[in-house]
Amino acid sequence: MRLFHNYHYAAAMLLFCLGLHTVIVRRNIIKKLIGLNIMETSVFFFYISLGYLDGGIAPIRVGGADPARMVNPIPQALILTGIVVAVSVTALALSMVILLYRQYGTLDVDRLMREEEPEAVESGKED
Amino acid sequence: MKRVAALLFIAALAVLLLYVVSRMPPMGDPETPTATHVIPRYLEKAEEETHTVNVITGVILNYRGYDTMGEVTVIFCALAAVLAVLGRERRGVIHGFVDRSEVPSSTIVRTMVRFIVPFIILFSVYTILHGETSPGGGFQGGAIIGGSMIIFTTIFGLYESSRRIPLKVRAPLEGAAVMGFFLVGTLGLVGGGNFLTYAWPRVAQDLHPSLVVWLTVLVEVGIGLGGAMVLTSILFAMIREEEEIATVS
Repeated sequence: MRLFHNYHYAAAMLLFCLGLHTVIVRRNIIKKLIGLNIMETSVFFFYISLGYLDGGIAPIRVGGADPARMVNPIPQALILTGIVVAVSVTALALSMVILLYRQYGTLDVDRLMREEEPEAVESGKED
Repeated sequence: MKRVAALLFIAALAVLLLYVVSRMPPMGDPETPTATHVIPRYLEKAEEETHTVNVITGVILNYRGYDTMGEVTVIFCALAAVLAVLGRERRGVIHGFVDRSEVPSSTIVRTMVRFIVPFIILFSVYTILHGETSPGGGFQGGAIIGGSMIIFTTIFGLYESSRRIPLKVRAPLEGAAVMGFFLVGTLGLVGGGNFLTYAWPRVAQDLHPSLVVWLTVLVEVGIGLGGAMVLTSILFAMIREEEEIATVS
């Protein structure tokens, strides 16, 4: 069956669902961000797997390597871009989380959504 | 209730995605659409057209050079946004939770980090400079330098590490990646080619291959330095604690 032959793709899809579940269910913002990063990683994994070739070699032309056996370089180049963008998004989101915590003293989304009065920073209990 | 609904939604999505996977072409097959069409041409012609042995570096810096230029602009903008949110450190009043900790880190850890950080930086220099002939490149090397700075800062504290890479060194180098791209692109314009073609048809036809390699290495070094400094600055901005916040906790 094709599903078991394409087990890389299937693993990437399951990882994506896991990350989405974390984003939806968890109430801690940092855990939501971790879920977002898991989703991003699953997309990277899926793309890199698309470029895989049975018995393929790295696309580096040294020592008379045969171009016909090389794996696809385009997904790897695209994912390098994707990783950098993911890092940038995570950095910006985390800096905003730091600001939120300083202002409200909590990382709980439900408490933040109720727009409580800013309170002093306490050693918060998450989730 | 909300959790059950979320679980049902995720399960439906998983079934849909796995169904799509079961209908996709088999993995690793040379006849799939992703492995045909334009890919063989890239693999055949990349070495003579971009003069880089590593096809991936050729794709990133040459075929898709505009794309990568946008990418380094994205990471530069991310740094600008982080600094706009959290603020840049001022000299002399910079410290994080490690500096304030009552318990000093163990001697073994300090000695080990002091010993290993120069080697990590040496490895990253190798990764940056060999980007066009082996796996590696500017982004990877910059990320390795950023990782070494994270190790150093978590052990020795923000005060020590910001003395090693002070603000007046970091600030000009943060834009090195973007500047490298614009410098090399404009050099191509001056030499009679197009923006970012890595070619000087008007000036240097006979030393063309080595010129392309040098310009590529210049861009790689710019990306590596800029990426490292951007990551370090983001780390410092995040780990830094404000004076008034620190007194409350």
